[in-house]
Amino acid sequence: MKKKLLAAMMATVVAATSLVGCGSGAAKKEAEEKKVEVPTEPFGDTVKYDPSVEINDGKDITVELWEWGSDDLFQEVIDGYTAIHPNVTIKLVNNPWEDYWTKLPLALDGQKGPAIFNIHNSYHENLINYLAPLDIPVEDLQADFTGVDAHVIDGKVYYIDYGMMTGSVYYNKQMWEAAGLTEEDIPKTWDEMREVAKKLTIKDGDKLIQAGLNFNDDFHQNYLLGLNYQLGENLFQEDGKTPNVNSDAMKKVMQMLVDLYEVDGVGSKDFGEKAADSFGQGQSAMVLQWGHYYNTLKTTWSNIDFGVFEIPTFDGEPYAYNRYNGESTFGVNKNAPEDQQAVAQDFVKYFLANDDAQVAFNLAMSTFPAKKSLADNEKILENPSLKVLSEHIDHYIWPGPMPSTVETSLKKAGEDIFFNGVAIDTALDEAQNNIIKDMKSSSFESVENLYTYAK
Amino acid sequence: MRRKVSVIALNTILLLLGVVTVYPFVWMLSSSFKQNSEIMALEQHLLPQTFVLDNYVNMNAHFNFMRFFANSLLITLVVTVIVVYTSTLCGFVLSKYEFKGRKLLFGFVLSTMMIPWCVTIIPKYSMIQSFGWMDSYKALIIPAMFSGFGIFMMKQHISALPDEILEAARMDGANEFYIFHRIVLPMSKNGISSIAIFQFLWTWEDFLWPYLVINSEEKQLLAVGLKMFNGQYSTDYGALFAATAISIIPVLLIYLFFQKQFIAGIASSAVKG
Repeated sequence: MKKKLLAAMMATVVAATSLVGCGSGAAKKEAEEKKVEVPTEPFGDTVKYDPSVEINDGKDITVELWEWGSDDLFQEVIDGYTAIHPNVTIKLVNNPWEDYWTKLPLALDGQKGPAIFNIHNSYHENLINYLAPLDIPVEDLQADFTGVDAHVIDGKVYYIDYGMMTGSVYYNKQMWEAAGLTEEDIPKTWDEMREVAKKLTIKDGDKLIQAGLNFNDDFHQNYLLGLNYQLGENLFQEDGKTPNVNSDAMKKVMQMLVDLYEVDGVGSKDFGEKAADSFGQGQSAMVLQWGHYYNTLKTTWSNIDFGVFEIPTFDGEPYAYNRYNGESTFGVNKNAPEDQQAVAQDFVKYFLANDDAQVAFNLAMSTFPAKKSLADNEKILENPSLKVLSEHIDHYIWPGPMPSTVETSLKKAGEDIFFNGVAIDTALDEAQNNIIKDMKSSSFESVENLYTYAK
Repeated sequence: MRRKVSVIALNTILLLLGVVTVYPFVWMLSSSFKQNSEIMALEQHLLPQTFVLDNYVNMNAHFNFMRFFANSLLITLVVTVIVVYTSTLCGFVLSKYEFKGRKLLFGFVLSTMMIPWCVTIIPKYSMIQSFGWMDSYKALIIPAMFSGFGIFMMKQHISALPDEILEAARMDGANEFYIFHRIVLPMSKNGISSIAIFQFLWTWEDFLWPYLVINSEEKQLLAVGLKMFNGQYSTDYGALFAATAISIIPVLLIYLFFQKQFIAGIASSAVKG
């Protein structure tokens, strides 16, 4: 009897959930039926899209687009494209982020893989052999988008960046006001930043109650792999292959991090295990985080009233402000049938020429548009994490799709320094040797030399 | 007196172990009614401080939950029924028939259990691709029709059935088909329950294979859907916990109904040989 009762209860839960499912499904359908405006005139800057040109001779065709994460965002672009070309059906296949990189290369190896797929440049080496070059003149891409040069391989471009993500400082406005700070106190230099961090730190005797600045767990990504540029040092030496992580600049950055915790006492390696979470939990007043953090704060930590300011510099006139990483445009599968590839090429062109799609993707990812004409777009500048980047966005460097050992080796070096008392010189030398060893078989070559203001 | 103390001590230890085992589940269930900020908060409470149903209401924001749930249920039931049948059939043949190469064949079956899945998954993927079974349930059902573990378990179990019963049936004119379906199957209820529970659980939870071979959203399974909550930069924990809480209901039901036979089946397969 008890079993029957329990089974009935569970069945009720499942049934109730199915009703919820039906409701959401109806809402989704309604959204899908939203009318899409069909352009009739060519649009775009240098890369132009002409909607009057038929695709696949007007014959019906279906292609797949594989992506991770943002169904609605991709669907909106697909709906716009298929409204122009009703003979084309683009089937969206959503994937979990981590496992996408296992499934995608397997699928691309055969002839039935997706014609279009989303790319992340950290998987460049795994994907480049499956990519067809874009059917758009390189000079047209260069005219419209920032950072194209870094993607040119033997005169061809396989994908570019639609947006640039980098680090900015997020601060808790309540804590800021409680410390008697105003907008005027927003620091421009690291010396000023240290002073502000001290004011934001609260201690009960020796016990830290509130960290002025927290960089636990992500110091390697947000500080070590970026502030070196402010001091005029690249992450890789002139040959583009040998790392440069035991440079004087890197040592100075590392020393500053150590001093922030051990001399200034504005935070601690033992306080707030992860800087990003600690800020959301209201434990830390400031964190240096990349653009995606803006969305995390808006969704997970919506109760935090936060502000954003540009990363401070050492002297106000940096060689570059920080490192950035690009969010990539789609790839076209070179093993797909020719008619599908033609649709894929056309779809990529539509995406690049379409300003609404570019703005939507950049806002969704909190990336600064790589499309030059969108640098002063109103909607983009309404996002505070993007607004702070707008003035100096041309002073950010992309080193190229670095192998993960650069990050992991520097993380280990920092942890050795903080937790095991290893000297800075020794730890960074070890990281340097480790990266050299790990990169022996890598084809990576830095593109730091392509930075607009490269020395 | 000493016996009483040892019983109390043993029960206390078992109770503690039970709490340790069940607590994460209770925490997950309770967290499915919390907002993400509360789940990630520094100060943790078992019960929600602010009770929300949004995680259940918004489950479909990531994928069509009920569709995935129904697909998983269908595939799991089909695979479980087939595996139970094939395992019992093979177990019957390997334990009750004398033929040349029987031991070799059984050894071969056992050896399939000893090869790690990561070695076979790529060739299996290539085969499915060349058969044209991608994005089809054939890719999920056909390779899973025979289970080395199931055959092993059922061989052990059926060998414990007295040969005299089968002989008596033969003398009464029963053919082998009748013997298997009317005598062996009903007498293997406990073993079948064990296999059914194991197979149900494995198929229900299996992520990588369904993910690799199924592309269409309308055919995708729940284990894959649950992974959709893990984003590139963050995870929607509330929705993940809500979906997980619902997804374990079929597994709980199976355990609830077959637990007695399951324990008996495992015990008998472990000791008979």
